[in-house]
Amino acid sequence: MIDFNLIVEKLPAFLGGTDGAPMMSTSDGLQLTLELLFLSLACGLLLAVPLALMRVSKNRVASSLVWLYTYVFRGTPLLVQLFIIYYGLSQFDWVRDSWAWEYLREAYACAILAFTLNTAAYTTEIIAGQIRNTHYGEIEAAKAMGMSKWLMMRRIVIPSALRRALPAYSNEVVMMMQSTSVAGLVTLADLTGVARRVFSDTYMPFEPFITVACFYLVLTFGFVWLFKLAERRWLAYLAPRKH
Amino acid sequence: MNQTPNIKLQVQDLHKSYGSHEVLKGVSLTAHAGDVISIIGSSGSGKSTFLRCINMLEQPHSGSIAVTGEQLALTTDKRNGALKAADQTQLARIRTKLAMVFQHFNLWAHMTVLENIIEAPVHVLGVPKDEAIARARKYLDKVGLKGVEDKYPSHMSGGQQQRVAIARALAMEPEVMLFDEPTSALDPELVGEVLRVMQDLAKEGRTMVVVTHEMGFAREVSNHVIFLHQGRIEEQGNPRDVLAQPKSERLAQFLSGSLK
Repeated sequence: MIDFNLIVEKLPAFLGGTDGAPMMSTSDGLQLTLELLFLSLACGLLLAVPLALMRVSKNRVASSLVWLYTYVFRGTPLLVQLFIIYYGLSQFDWVRDSWAWEYLREAYACAILAFTLNTAAYTTEIIAGQIRNTHYGEIEAAKAMGMSKWLMMRRIVIPSALRRALPAYSNEVVMMMQSTSVAGLVTLADLTGVARRVFSDTYMPFEPFITVACFYLVLTFGFVWLFKLAERRWLAYLAPRKH
Repeated sequence: MNQTPNIKLQVQDLHKSYGSHEVLKGVSLTAHAGDVISIIGSSGSGKSTFLRCINMLEQPHSGSIAVTGEQLALTTDKRNGALKAADQTQLARIRTKLAMVFQHFNLWAHMTVLENIIEAPVHVLGVPKDEAIARARKYLDKVGLKGVEDKYPSHMSGGQQQRVAIARALAMEPEVMLFDEPTSALDPELVGEVLRVMQDLAKEGRTMVVVTHEMGFAREVSNHVIFLHQGRIEEQGNPRDVLAQPKSERLAQFLSGSLK
């Protein structure tokens, strides 16, 4: 049977508590999961917009390079990417000698780098797809009004594509949140990492892993709800008319 | 150039081909201030292509275009052998003087009505935002729309959308307005509201070039009609003469095919 006392006893550990210290005294558990998620999503999105523009550009070289990047990162498991970055980069002297080593020696930075590159690849393709889907008439109208190419991109094409990308992007955010669970495999104590620690301390599998599953479910629910609100705000023009 | 000062638009000897098929075989047009020129012809006659060449949405293969006396500098496009603007900045400036109204409205779907109308005045012409909003309200009023500022185009009827598109074109305060079959995508009962707006604009003395299937509009509102057939001007002149007593057999045939 499930030992509810153990669940209650270990719950603070998922919220940054340790034996003898209160919750939030460390950044382990929920906080670390959210940090990894938001930092990588933010950096990924910032990378994805210019990459998507390169992906749809007429410049063959730029487009092919971005295609190769998204193909590699979407075609390999995130865990493998994380291992290559975490265990692999230290093999190069020039990496160890560079300014970046101060960060890349830490699992934390490696995880953020891997997650960022991974989500940026998916997000690039989502946004590029929506840029290609832009109604041709809207582009002609922009040209006919005397807009330059960049103004048209900045004012018409990108805002419109980002809005239409919202539903697909909400899936990406939920998938990415669950993918952060691999961070535990490079020593980080994210939610899943804490669950594994509790498991190895107690040899009780159900209690920690069901607890952690509930955390992810609640987070997923929250993100889905937030994106619903966002779609209502920014995709109102696609909704059926109300009167 | 020995152009009279009130010539708003002069297009000379425009040629355009798709592959080996020549769709425009030397079409010219001169619009003086206040002219309303209707271009009629069966589908495939090249009338829309001609209009779209005027603001370079299509690339002509030869010919010249001048707006208010300013010649558009053209150069050969190496990719396809057609002409392209030599200077994108000049093209953009000339386009701001040639507002276009499209068959399918082409409003920006993610923007409200007001945002659609102020977009180009603010970001292309550099009009201050509050002034652009005042301008937008003035022109919405002119096209007979009230209380629609915060609506999205997809939540409006086709006739309302086209009137917003006309307001958007007017807000550029253009020298010439180009209409590309503005009522062809509308339900029959919505055609009238758009035509009435266009008739009002004509009365104000705006210079307009209208590709249309509406013979009533061509006859009653325009002061010059051009009949295109297979890429050539088959006949042109005062609509009351040309449409009442067509000289060419083609035009007579075309007119008997259209009910009005």
